Amino acid sequence: MKNWFVRGVTAGIWTEALPGSGNVSNALSPGLPTTTEYATPELAREMATRCPTDAIHASGATAEVDDDRCVLCMRCKGRDGQKWRHDITWGHTAGASSQEPLPSAFASSLHVRIIDAGDCGSCLNELAQMNGPLYNLHRLGIFVTPTPRQADVLLVVGPGTRQMRDALVTSYNAMPEPKRVVAVGVCAASGGIFGPSLMSSGGIGEIIPVDLVVPGCPPPPHAIIDALRLVCGQIKRVAQ
Amino acid sequence: MVAELVNHLRTIWPETDWRLDGELISAEVEARYLRAMAKYFTAQQWRIGTIVARENGRDVHVRYFFYATKHSGWVELRVDVNAIDRVLPSLTNVTIAADWFEREIEDLFSIRFTEHPRLGDFVLHNEQWAENLGLMRPRVRLDADIPERPREWHPKRVLEEQGAFVMPVGPVYSGDAESALFLLETVGEDVVRAVPRLFYKYRAIEKIAEGRTVHDVLLLAERCNGTSAIGNGVAYCQAVERALGITVPVRAQSLRAFFAELERLRHHMTSIRQICASTALQVAESQALWMEERLLRISGDLAGHRYLFGVLAIGGLMFDCDRQMLEDAAYDAGNVLRKVEPLRKALENASSFLDRIERVGIVSEESARDFEIVGPFARASGVAADMRAVQPYGAYPSIEFDVPIEAQGDGYARLRVLFWEMAQSLRIMHAIVADLPQGSVASEVALHSGEALGWSEAPSGASIHWVECDAQGVVLRYRLTPPSFRNWHGFHVATEDFAFQDFPIVLATLDLSVAENDR
Amino acid sequence: MDALALVLTLWAITVCIIGANVALQCAERWVSRVLLATGCLASALSFVGGALCLYAGPSGDAVLWTLPVLGPISIGTTAIASWFTCVASLVYFPTSIFTFRYLERYAAKYSLRAFAIWYCALLAAIIGLFICRDVTSFFIDWEVIAIASAVLVAFEWREVSHARAAFTMLGMSEAGTVAAILAMLLARPGSLSFAGPPVLLSGAMSWTVFLLAFFGFGVKAGLLPINSWLPRAHPLAPGNVSALLSGVILNVGVYGIVLVNMVLAPSHLPAQGIVVMVVGAISAIVGILYATTVDDMKAMLAFSSIENIGIAITALGAAFVFIAVGMPLFAGIGFAAGMYHLANHSAYKGLLFLGAATVDAKMGTRSMDALGGLIRVLPITTALFFVGVFAIAAIPPLNGFVSEWMTLQALLRSAELGSLTYRVIFALCGATLALTAALTVTCFVKVFGMSFLGWQRTDRPTPTEAPRSMLAGMALLAIECVLLGALPTYVLPIIGRASVSAFGADVVTGTLVPPFFRPGRGPTPLPADFVATFHALGAQIGAWLPGRGLVVMLRGGSANPVVFAMSTTYLWVIIAFLALITYAIVRVATRARRAQRSRTWAGGLTRILPEMTYTATGFSNPVRVIFEAVFDPTEVENTRETIHEHFRAAIRRAREDIFLSDRLISDPIAKVVRSAAVMLARMHHGRLGAYVGYALATLLVALAIVGVGQP
Repeated sequence: MKNWFVRGVTAGIWTEALPGSGNVSNALSPGLPTTTEYATPELAREMATRCPTDAIHASGATAEVDDDRCVLCMRCKGRDGQKWRHDITWGHTAGASSQEPLPSAFASSLHVRIIDAGDCGSCLNELAQMNGPLYNLHRLGIFVTPTPRQADVLLVVGPGTRQMRDALVTSYNAMPEPKRVVAVGVCAASGGIFGPSLMSSGGIGEIIPVDLVVPGCPPPPHAIIDALRLVCGQIKRVAQ
Repeated sequence: MVAELVNHLRTIWPETDWRLDGELISAEVEARYLRAMAKYFTAQQWRIGTIVARENGRDVHVRYFFYATKHSGWVELRVDVNAIDRVLPSLTNVTIAADWFEREIEDLFSIRFTEHPRLGDFVLHNEQWAENLGLMRPRVRLDADIPERPREWHPKRVLEEQGAFVMPVGPVYSGDAESALFLLETVGEDVVRAVPRLFYKYRAIEKIAEGRTVHDVLLLAERCNGTSAIGNGVAYCQAVERALGITVPVRAQSLRAFFAELERLRHHMTSIRQICASTALQVAESQALWMEERLLRISGDLAGHRYLFGVLAIGGLMFDCDRQMLEDAAYDAGNVLRKVEPLRKALENASSFLDRIERVGIVSEESARDFEIVGPFARASGVAADMRAVQPYGAYPSIEFDVPIEAQGDGYARLRVLFWEMAQSLRIMHAIVADLPQGSVASEVALHSGEALGWSEAPSGASIHWVECDAQGVVLRYRLTPPSFRNWHGFHVATEDFAFQDFPIVLATLDLSVAENDR
Repeated sequence: MDALALVLTLWAITVCIIGANVALQCAERWVSRVLLATGCLASALSFVGGALCLYAGPSGDAVLWTLPVLGPISIGTTAIASWFTCVASLVYFPTSIFTFRYLERYAAKYSLRAFAIWYCALLAAIIGLFICRDVTSFFIDWEVIAIASAVLVAFEWREVSHARAAFTMLGMSEAGTVAAILAMLLARPGSLSFAGPPVLLSGAMSWTVFLLAFFGFGVKAGLLPINSWLPRAHPLAPGNVSALLSGVILNVGVYGIVLVNMVLAPSHLPAQGIVVMVVGAISAIVGILYATTVDDMKAMLAFSSIENIGIAITALGAAFVFIAVGMPLFAGIGFAAGMYHLANHSAYKGLLFLGAATVDAKMGTRSMDALGGLIRVLPITTALFFVGVFAIAAIPPLNGFVSEWMTLQALLRSAELGSLTYRVIFALCGATLALTAALTVTCFVKVFGMSFLGWQRTDRPTPTEAPRSMLAGMALLAIECVLLGALPTYVLPIIGRASVSAFGADVVTGTLVPPFFRPGRGPTPLPADFVATFHALGAQIGAWLPGRGLVVMLRGGSANPVVFAMSTTYLWVIIAFLALITYAIVRVATRARRAQRSRTWAGGLTRILPEMTYTATGFSNPVRVIFEAVFDPTEVENTRETIHEHFRAAIRRAREDIFLSDRLISDPIAKVVRSAAVMLARMHHGRLGAYVGYALATLLVALAIVGVGQP
């Protein structure tokens, strides 16, 4: 035991500063495609057809990107492709949500219950990284709790498979007010490449009310942390 | 080897038309010979690769794929099934490894396997679906709105003792665990038997793939299990390339192998981190998390995506990497492994840690062979099963590496195999960088109809994919058999008669992915 | 006044006899009513009689007849017997009310008339036993009790197991009776009457009488090595009979021990008291161990009775030791603890057995593994059972706590003893009783939690709540538990009057409810400032709270008093007060916030199935594993069935264990007797010549004896 204690203490502090609204490298985030102006509408339409999940929509010569549908297949990336954004402020309110922000007490103490509703494993792995020494979620007062009874935020990953739907609803109902739901990943946002179908929903919003959505496949830990800070009121975003 | 085998088969079953195509022996067989043939192959230590059911209008058939473990070579047995009766003999009395395949086919194709003692409520849960939904049959459309006809579900109880009950764990439990239900049969102290109930995360990937282009289905293959994207993706690409007759350039093969080993490094680091977390050794878990994040960043720097999505393409890769980038990545990975070594030593000297993972979740070599476990799980029980060595593919025939084997079959053996394999992965990466061939990284993809099998050694074990596509390159049937599907089958062998506190540790050391199994 | 008590008791017996006769001849549908009337009237009369005796003093012995060899048949009330009478009446009355509707379930297959007759006979015999004042009548009465209780136990005589259990009970009871008779005959040689001063025996005779009486009456009282019959008889007897067995008949055994060893021929060797204590402590711990791990609810209560009697016996043993070393005040504490515990045990065990009988009648099963969720279908029964559980777990402010506190305090008084050995044994017994108390809590949490709370585990048609008379019977016992717990300072003086028989004077009241609580009512042997401090601490609040609240144990003399005190009375007041305040706060302060109600969180499962909840056996498994040496189970089955070599079809495991008393005493004795019988059976080989030879040999021996006798 003494050995581990010494090992831990002598390792030092590895926690990195949060990037805020700045750009980060490829190592920290794969980025997301962003709205690009093309020379001709044909080019824009061609880019739209390349996208397998209809995330790119051509309106004239502009190829607009619906973040919530992009699965990061990288087909639109490249020299002549979509421009890429490298910030991590991906979290945004879900369209139908009209919930107020959580009371201010939660800004320094937030408990999150993570539910896997069919996730492929990469979103869950990024969530696990959040608790690591480099991202260090605990310094923000945000904790992962194993019971929904003590959770303030329900963090859902995965496209909401049919056979997990009852468990998801039960978990949501088991949380006391006030509660918020954050849908993490493109599958939770819109079903990704799996939904909507008989076996998956077209986004968790079809099953339980969602307050915040974080697109990406998977969203990097910084984007998820940014979204959690948004939902508990540690940071505020200018309305888009 | 395979040629001799074909001749021998022709003498034993002369009425069957045995054909040899490269290393693949195929034949259309009658159902009544199925058991005898399966017995023949399993006696020679061939393993089931995958079992593919296919319904195409009025034609229903099932293909059984076996592969040899001592040399390369595959066998495909195709059996026609009467579309009305939909009955086949079960192979479970010959090899238990066929069990889950048959249950899945029964649930999804409504084909009944006679003498299978435990059909029903496998993939499709009774609480949601009426019996005989036959999801994979053509008449069921994924965009249809099928009303639920729930039935009662009760766990199957095996323990008959005064006061026995079934303790449920899940499907929602722990902090960031995947959703699965575990049923622990106990009389209050020790757990006598633990059985998983999976497929809560069933997304019907195989059904979604039908009607999509081969390129789009690559996305499905990658995202079946996001932490083994390259492992599953390479197997899928090889299936399509074999079906379409595409030759992948040697540079692309080498780069694919590089990315696969980089992914294997990171995946094993994740497993080690989960084992440390399960024993609540916080310092080791933090250090492992740091190293795993470093490997994720190396992947992100190299490929633009931390989990290596968007790297593979049919016929090669999506982009090229120059040698300097690969060297940097290999160098950085080597640095991480240099930090892993002291962690490994510290773990091996921590008696409280070893107490918790030694002699826990023991799977004997015999069980591992019977259940046809794959991957590091099998290698820790003394079964040398590694597709890169047994059925080499891609760049692996020309790369030298060791296949680690441990004999104890307990949690500690599995941990040692993980560390050993990480060292081997780094060795392979260095070998590739040292000897990187020149050339392009993509081939022309000419679409036409075809069907073929592809395989690879994903980080969890052998991943086997089968694709059938039509002339426009639209996938008609996609079958993926990931390694976790085989290994979850052997889960209950590791969890008999144990203390409840050991449950998370056994789960962590087995390195199983629920998403991969559920598809 | 003193004769009135005896007259009332005789009237009680008469009522029983009349009731039995009426039940014999009346119409079938009146039988239950006759039983109810007889039982209630007779127990009420005997209770009043006993109370009168305690307050007015014992009556003299009245000689009824004088028989040639068997001596005078005399009856009379005594203080100690009156205490037992009152306790028996307290159980008999509610049980009779309960029986009124409970018998309906037997009406189809068995004769209610026979039950009523034997019930009345048993009541008459029990009331009669406590007024018997000579050996002959005592044992005639004793036999009637034994036979009546055996018949009632085997009421469902068509079941072989019931008949066998009753037979075992009767057989062991007779063996004990023989020992008891011998003890009484030896205790007062030359006199068959209980009247007269206590006899001080010496050395070997003292030990002989003590051991014969202790173990002879101990069979009836259910003490450890000789109680093989108890776990067999109690679960199989009808529910109300089990309540009587536990609440009344076990006390009869203890009465016998007290009668011989404290009144007739008092035990004056400390070692004897030690023996009593050790047997009591071991009975307690083994009893509760078995209770915690067994699955049948009534068997569990039966084992718990062994435990409780063990506790009472330990207290009595402490009293014996203190008497022997000449410290009557401390002996009084032990004695009071023992008597109080017997009363408490009768009350709460009666309640629990009646509750178990209700559950058995409504659900058709006694297996706790199969029950569950009864609070939803039998809410009132659950509430009443809960009072019993609380009481038996010795939770303040109910009655179990009072007697356990006093028992432990009596054991702690071992500090006053001179001998180190005795102090060590006292400490060990105290530790054992503490462990017993902890296991009791485990056991009854298991009973209540697994059977009454949680989910219903087996599909049975939903029953309705029990009929009101059954609930009334249980409610009466619950009220008794509460009163015995809330008013110990009123009960203890009554026990003090009872202790006059054993000690010659009231040693209890002065020690435990000292008069300085009642200002102006008696001498205050303590310094005034001490009394004042004590009042300030809450011994008496103002003038309008009851003066008596505390049970107090004084140590040291008037010069240096040290006091240990306990008050369940004030605890009730405080609890009520706090509950009121909490309720008010909750209602007023949290008006704005509503608690949200939601289903039990089950890991995402929409509903927990009954097979997913802890079973009673599972709950107590850790206890079984820790104390495996005591149970010494044998593995009966451990098979694994597979299909196709790998599909687990079934894992069957079963373990059996034999009760400790059986292992230690009954089975070895049975084996010896059987082997002796086998040996002797060789005499019966059928050869005529040898039989003639036996006759010849007998004749020769007889002639030799006669011849030797001749001068």
